[in-house]
Amino acid sequence: MSTKIKEAVRALLTEGKIKGFLGLREEKGNIMPYLFCDPKELDALSLGDWKKPGDTRYPLNQLMIKLAMAYPNETFAVLIRGCDERGLKELFKWKQLDEEKIVLIGLGCPDELAKACECEKPFPDSLIDGPKGEKVDSQKVAQVEGMDLDTRLQFWKAEFNRCIKCFGCRNICPMCFCNECSIEEDQLVGTGEIPPANPTFHLARAIHMVGRCIDCGLCEEACPADIPLRTLYKKVGEIIHQEFGYKTGLSVDEKSPFNIIEVK
Amino acid sequence: MAGLAAVFGSGAMTNSIEEIENADCILIIGSNTSVAHPLIATRVFRAKAKGAKVIVADPRRIPIILQSDLHLQQNLGTDVALINGLMHIILKKGWQDQTFIDERTENFEELKKVVEHYSPEKVSEITGISVEDLEKAAEYYAKAERATILYTMGITQHTTGVDNVKSLAHLAMLTGNLGKESTGINPLRGQNNVQGACDMGGLPNVYTGYQAVVDQAVKQKFEEAWGATLSDKIGLTATEMFPAVLNGKMKALVILGENPVVSDADCLHVEKALKALDFLLVIDIFKTPTAEMAHVVLPGAAFAEKEGTFSNTERRVQLLRKAAEPPGEAKPDWQIIQELSSRFGYPMDYASPRAIMEEIAKLTPSYGGITYDRLQGDGLQWPCPNTEHPGTKFLHQGRFTRGKGLFSAIEYKPAAEMADEEYPFQLTTGRVHVHYHTGTMTRNSPSLEREISECFLEMHPEDASELKVGEGDWVMIASRRGSVSSRVKLTDVAGRKTVFMPFHFLESRANILTNPTFDPVAKIPEFKVCAVKIEKMDRSDKSISSPP
Amino acid sequence: MEFKTVLSFCPYCGCGCGLLLEVLDGKIVGTLPSKTSPVNQGKLCIKGWTVHEFITSPNRLTQPMVRQDDALHDSSWDEALHLAATRLKEIKEKHGPDSIGVLTSAKCTNEENYLLQKFTRAALGTNNIDHCARL
Repeated sequence: MSTKIKEAVRALLTEGKIKGFLGLREEKGNIMPYLFCDPKELDALSLGDWKKPGDTRYPLNQLMIKLAMAYPNETFAVLIRGCDERGLKELFKWKQLDEEKIVLIGLGCPDELAKACECEKPFPDSLIDGPKGEKVDSQKVAQVEGMDLDTRLQFWKAEFNRCIKCFGCRNICPMCFCNECSIEEDQLVGTGEIPPANPTFHLARAIHMVGRCIDCGLCEEACPADIPLRTLYKKVGEIIHQEFGYKTGLSVDEKSPFNIIEVK
Repeated sequence: MAGLAAVFGSGAMTNSIEEIENADCILIIGSNTSVAHPLIATRVFRAKAKGAKVIVADPRRIPIILQSDLHLQQNLGTDVALINGLMHIILKKGWQDQTFIDERTENFEELKKVVEHYSPEKVSEITGISVEDLEKAAEYYAKAERATILYTMGITQHTTGVDNVKSLAHLAMLTGNLGKESTGINPLRGQNNVQGACDMGGLPNVYTGYQAVVDQAVKQKFEEAWGATLSDKIGLTATEMFPAVLNGKMKALVILGENPVVSDADCLHVEKALKALDFLLVIDIFKTPTAEMAHVVLPGAAFAEKEGTFSNTERRVQLLRKAAEPPGEAKPDWQIIQELSSRFGYPMDYASPRAIMEEIAKLTPSYGGITYDRLQGDGLQWPCPNTEHPGTKFLHQGRFTRGKGLFSAIEYKPAAEMADEEYPFQLTTGRVHVHYHTGTMTRNSPSLEREISECFLEMHPEDASELKVGEGDWVMIASRRGSVSSRVKLTDVAGRKTVFMPFHFLESRANILTNPTFDPVAKIPEFKVCAVKIEKMDRSDKSISSPP
Repeated sequence: MEFKTVLSFCPYCGCGCGLLLEVLDGKIVGTLPSKTSPVNQGKLCIKGWTVHEFITSPNRLTQPMVRQDDALHDSSWDEALHLAATRLKEIKEKHGPDSIGVLTSAKCTNEENYLLQKFTRAALGTNNIDHCARL
């Protein structure tokens, strides 16, 4: 357990700089998202490492949006890893959260986790504790890319055939904040059938993750059918990098090619 | 459960959910797993990815067949013939586990004699499955190092339900697939706490932990603990209660969180019975059609609004935490029951669900070691006889509850009501992936209602064209018990002359049609087969019959 | 201000998936799969993901009701419980304990099922208790 993080949060709470800290709480063997408002509670703070590093990560940014909507004038701190920080950068650009009202409590991921995630940047800029690990290139995308076109389509269709349409990939996604969701569009995917329209359902979601997906991998972890969604969305990310030179969530200043309408 | 109890001496899922993913062969029979038990389907997907052979036996082309190596599309109600056929092939080829049979079972000769008559050709004739597929299935199952069977109501909701279950248990014993990891015979329970309701003695013949009401020592134990005189006469099952009301023997019913007006076979009959009652008390969280008929309705708390435990299908007792207050004046059911009991003249004064569990543990050997403090992590799987016991992952290791596993001779009997000239279609019922039971909860959930908001009748396109019915047209479906209207959905999910309807929808209650004739032992009605006729409805009728 | 997630278990099928209810200032606002649950390991189906919707439905019963003039009317707990206890007592006295039947619930907790069968057997004096295990 990180004393550095605990102390940083304690200081923010005691000095009254934040109303609360959105992190993870460990209670009798269960790890759950929790808003710490009292420094005395911090002994129960967890960083989301249970049996393996990062195996109890939750979409804290998504919960942060709910909190900020209920309390728009308050400032909160939130526990973030490299991926979560990429998410926050995009959420600021998309005006889903106010940069001024969020304090980032950054945690770097160990190599084991960075490798499992094939992470582009396994640490946040606002690093308080944890390693500043190396970028890991994606083998999984390369593997699928290695298949010829027909095999590749068959591969994905076979994966999507297991889909039970739980919407978990969307529900857990910290970047899915639309009021209307394309995969709930009757004209596009229809209702009442499992597996849902193959490959339309998953490709429609993949397309909508362009410029949004920050490669946290929570979707793949939440998938009851173990569909390699992360590989699919990584590929989508690669395409926009090639086409627009844009890397989702890496810079707060660089405008997203998908968010060119400015709200002033 | 009666079927498993007869063979092994106890009835419950023998193995655990997590073990399924390490099986080498999975036989899914009468279970629409990815629709009705999605998180168990996850384990099937994983087993498949690790190379397991997956056999799905179901009259309908259900979604899980996309992950199967073999789909056996048996005719409705022919499961005993199918399983006897598989055992016939296994014995012919010598694939049985003779050591297991010799050491752990009895009465094998009797089984052998009956199975002898079920040649692949004869079974193929009855079930509609090709001889080749029967042989392949027998080989996959028998030759696997660890084979497991998953089943649900597609097996039990028949007049031959107990026979079906016993046959599956025989198949597992024949091949030694019991008492080890990733094997077994696993009834996937359909309700979150149906296992618990059984464990807690919510049955007419047993107290908690399946202690028989006719056993005098048990009766005495409970009389002492409860300070009351108890009856040793076995009570009526739900399926027997409604006829008892109609013949005047039963005058009052107390119904906690159930909706028989939609859920029970031949539900018009149930409705008639409820109307005939002198007094009906319903405790529920919604104003169900059953609650509408009550004399007194008491508002309960939902699972998220109280403490307590649920026991899942793998016998895992898990502790609920209270997340919010119940709405308005609603109260947790345990409080309601004890207030009612106290006013009735039998005072109850438990401070909390924890205190109730302490009493349960004292009186129930299989729950003896279960305490709230021990349930904080992953919960505990019963049997858990004492507070040092870690719980039981899989049953029947080394020995069955009754000692030796009991084989018996079971002959195939057709469903009680077969299609005939007047009622030429066979109807089967089941769930859809977004709804649950009578829809009390799911139909109050906009995300689920968005996916499927009305009933449908699945019909083969060729049958539909004979009736001149198109996709979305309204039809009237009639059985000997009543009739309902529904839209038609054209699909070849089932074969010709077999139609399917979900039972969640009050507007088109499938259970108006279903056959209440029940299995003589388990008293489960034959929800899964009845004979119906189907007529196209005039457009002008639409306004009358369409759902509100 | 209070925001927490509370561990609970899915009320639908028998899998028994662990889920976290998101509670903001005492109101349930969402559901997440529990990552520490041995059954579902951080995954849920569509029904599990949406349990907060029915819990917070405006159609929930909030008040006891008693039948009067062939319709159900709101009542107090005192009136409803008194009526229920009195009617059950009258029927037991007049027609005997086996004239009453009880359906307990596969949706309710073990503790509630235990109490209801205890009430049925010890107070009403009958073994006429069952539930929907067969349905």
